[in-house]
Amino acid sequence: MSSLVLAASANQVHLTARTRIVAAILAIAFMLLILELIRSNRLQERYSVIWFVAGLGMLAGAAFPGLLEFVAELMGVRDTNVALFSILLLLLLGLALNFSVIMSRQAAQITRLAQERALERARQQAEEDSGANGSAALREESLESEEQGF
Amino acid sequence: MRTLVFIPAWNEQASISGVIADVRKALPDADILVVDDGSTDATTATARESGVLVATLPFNQGLGAALQTGYLFALREGYDYCAHLDADGQHPATEVARLLEVIAADRADLVIGSRYSDPSAVTGRDDYKPTFSRRIGTSVFRFFLTLATRQRFTDTTSGMRAANRRVMSLFSENYSPDFAEIESLQLAVRQGLRVEEVPVRMLERTGGSSFLTPVRSAFFIFKGIVVLLVGQFRPRHAEADR
Repeated sequence: MSSLVLAASANQVHLTARTRIVAAILAIAFMLLILELIRSNRLQERYSVIWFVAGLGMLAGAAFPGLLEFVAELMGVRDTNVALFSILLLLLLGLALNFSVIMSRQAAQITRLAQERALERARQQAEEDSGANGSAALREESLESEEQGF
Repeated sequence: MRTLVFIPAWNEQASISGVIADVRKALPDADILVVDDGSTDATTATARESGVLVATLPFNQGLGAALQTGYLFALREGYDYCAHLDADGQHPATEVARLLEVIAADRADLVIGSRYSDPSAVTGRDDYKPTFSRRIGTSVFRFFLTLATRQRFTDTTSGMRAANRRVMSLFSENYSPDFAEIESLQLAVRQGLRVEEVPVRMLERTGGSSFLTPVRSAFFIFKGIVVLLVGQFRPRHAEADR
């Protein structure tokens, strides 16, 4: 993020050549890191797409400084630095929301998994009980309805 | 006709045997399932000793997930009717039997036992005395749920209910883990199911303690309103198997 600090302290609209190089290096390093995380199975591909897009955005901003000015102009922001920070903030907000969505999905999956396990044990218990005293409480049509359910 | 009565229980070892005995007495033909929502006490062991089925969730996941487990079991095991009541001894099983009668007569798909809709008129003295925060929550939920469903509900958070297979298949797939009682009513009404309240008599708790402190109540109420609001924008599905 040193590029951002430099750009901010310069307090001018145009990015210097040095900031652009630093930003480009950071962006490439970032994308390499993502690749490495995927390769070593610490990050799943389906969760990496959004990070690649972020890395590409960084690279594009470094390669074409006019792009940032163009976006700032579109947003109606006079200061490109403000535009840059706003975009980053929105991006992070989007990522955080994305995580909440993923988390909710996984929470639902975990709940269902726990329920399935609890029911499996209850069913086992019922079988044992009916084996013990002969009073079968449960019908064995359960497997059919299970397939319909999902 | 096979009936399942399930009892969601979280750390209710003190009262669970009494509740089971009560259900056995009032509903001798019904199968009983205790859904232990990850209790850290001897709820599962105590329930097993009573000789009922026990589904033990590996960790605590909230009332909604526990209730859904019961509906899922009832659906898959082919029960015709199911009912559930609280494990803390507030709900007399004879009242659950009355709810089941309404379901068996096919006068409704889902029946809620309400402690507020003038119980004295039907069953004599009302033994239930709500706390202050409980009263506020109740009236807020009552207002918003009535607004959302255009149907009058008095006891929106009642944990005493009876249902048929239509409700089982709906709730086993769609049941909010956070806001079980209220959202499920809204959902059922929106799906075109017949939801009915029946006045019941309720008792003081015999064990455990209510989870509602004032701060939690306020949060609970706020969350409930948000949930109801969001629920109004959920798609209305065509009813599955009417």
